[in-house]
Amino acid sequence: MKSALLLGAILSLITASGFSQAQSADATKLYHRSLAATCANCHGTDGKGVVDGGMPLINNLTSEQMLTQLKAFKSGAREGTIMPQLAKGYSDEQLEIIANQLGKK
Amino acid sequence: MDRRHFIGQSAAALGMLAGFSGQARANLQKAEILVIGGGYGGATAAKYLRLFSNNTAKVTLIEPNASFVSCPLSNLVVGGSRTISEITSPYDNLSKRHGVKIIQDSVTSIDPVKKTVKLASGKTLPYDKAIVSPGVALMMNSIEGLAQANKAGVTLQAWKAGPETVALHKQLASMRDGGTFAISIPEAPYRCPPGPYERACQVANYLKQNKTKSKVLILDANQDVTSKGALFKKVWAEQYSGIIEYLPKHNVTAVDAKTKTLKFEVQDDIKADVLNLLPAMSAGEIAVKTGLANSNGRWVNVNFLNFESTAQKDIHVLGDSIQIAPAMPKSGHMANQHAKVAAAAIVAELSGWDVNPAPVLTNTCYSFVNEREVVHVASVHQYNTAEKTFKTVPGSGGLSPAPSTLEGVYAWGWAHNIWADSLG
Ligand SMILES: Cc1cc2nc3c(=O)[nH]c(=O)nc-3n(C[C@H](O)[C@H](O)[C@H](O)COP(=O)(O)OP(=O)(O)OC[C@H]3O[C@@H](n4cnc5c(N)ncnc54)[C@H](O)[C@@H]3O)c2cc1C
Repeated sequence: MKSALLLGAILSLITASGFSQAQSADATKLYHRSLAATCANCHGTDGKGVVDGGMPLINNLTSEQMLTQLKAFKSGAREGTIMPQLAKGYSDEQLEIIANQLGKK
Repeated sequence: MDRRHFIGQSAAALGMLAGFSGQARANLQKAEILVIGGGYGGATAAKYLRLFSNNTAKVTLIEPNASFVSCPLSNLVVGGSRTISEITSPYDNLSKRHGVKIIQDSVTSIDPVKKTVKLASGKTLPYDKAIVSPGVALMMNSIEGLAQANKAGVTLQAWKAGPETVALHKQLASMRDGGTFAISIPEAPYRCPPGPYERACQVANYLKQNKTKSKVLILDANQDVTSKGALFKKVWAEQYSGIIEYLPKHNVTAVDAKTKTLKFEVQDDIKADVLNLLPAMSAGEIAVKTGLANSNGRWVNVNFLNFESTAQKDIHVLGDSIQIAPAMPKSGHMANQHAKVAAAAIVAELSGWDVNPAPVLTNTCYSFVNEREVVHVASVHQYNTAEKTFKTVPGSGGLSPAPSTLEGVYAWGWAHNIWADSLG
């Protein structure tokens, strides 16, 4: 009985942590990819824009550089046409996820 | 229970869990996903289903056209500063680079109970998930005489880019100097809010250079310009003074093809030389026919977390066909964004994961006011859990202060990048 309870406890632990953690790690990765994909219309799939396409290329930036620029657009410190307007629509946490996803590793 | 037995049971239980996870993954690999319509919504969904599933999902795209012709920038073809080949892209990269199976055909019916679709060629295909992105249908019967006039080529819509886009430019080019080009706009919502006003600018730009005695008449069923109003009006006054005439609250109700006369609800008849009549619009025909258009029989209500139709399970609807969230435009940019939310949700569902509870959408829309200068409107839409819809973020988005050539460069850049993102 005792061990059955223990088994139940372990199973629920596995479900709540180990198993669902593995699941949620993959799911979280997918959420992050889809958030970064909101930028792809203008800056290319996975941040790889059309070369000489006329749109500023972002795939030479590190994650850190990208986040600094996104935050500067959001605060108004950096001027631009569309980016200051778009950056204001994302939370700081979302901007960080985007910079981590798209920045050069 | 001894220790060995306990470990055995735990292992079995773990195996069960692993089995469950394997099963979910197997669902992702086994499921037949059919994408109906290879426009901005459908093409993007097909590609991103492959990307987000690490190339494991089985994705088939059904599209009747041999290549993709972009509506964005098609107004430049009407105005004559660009050609149709410059806005045409092939479909084959979706199969070559991303493993999407492409069938060049059109869907004639969907059976949501048997979960099958029928093609014009007669074939029937089964699906586990269907993505429907057929764009808009033009409600030709909303203007008396329009269906016949359009069939005869007396009026043109050119609102689905392709042969009519080229034909409209030809009509403009062969119009007598001193003639009138009339464009009529239905009540919102319709595909691309600023599109008709951009078109008026492109036609006026052509007339300014080629037929200086001619003019453009904008007959708008709406109370006022529906998008970028102040910017367009300033351009009309400064660049096209005496060329563009704007008449709000002018709802075309009938057309006489013989005399090229337009009739209205209230106002006197108007005659014009070139008639670019845009009727009211609804969700694409296949969506309406399948019973998906449960918003006034015109647009499709969806669950904004996964873009599943509220009328039928496992049919996800994207792009212009949906009943929009507040301040969400019917644009190509937005259709591409819908597609990514839906693709991620479908991959999650088939993997046995929770669907992302906080998706985000953006929109940017550029309008050319001549062949080089552009104005934009932009917005960011975050999912609101309490209201189960997308809401624009206060303080985000906005308009250009004035037309600029820099934005002209970005507009072409946007087009090339979105074509590559959706089809490349
Ligand atoms: C003049 C003009 C200018 C525009 N400018 C802009 C702009 O600057 N920026 C912007 O973001 N948007 C712009 N738009 C709007 C944009 O074109 C649409 O919002 C976008 O195309 C919608 O995408 P969709 O996937 O819903 O439909 P579409 O892109 O129209 O794709 C629908 C596809 O479905 C296919 N289809 C239909 N029925 C079936 C069937 N039964 N079986 C199989 N396939 C089928 C069609 O062949 C078509 O390829 C403009 C539109 C116009 C007309």
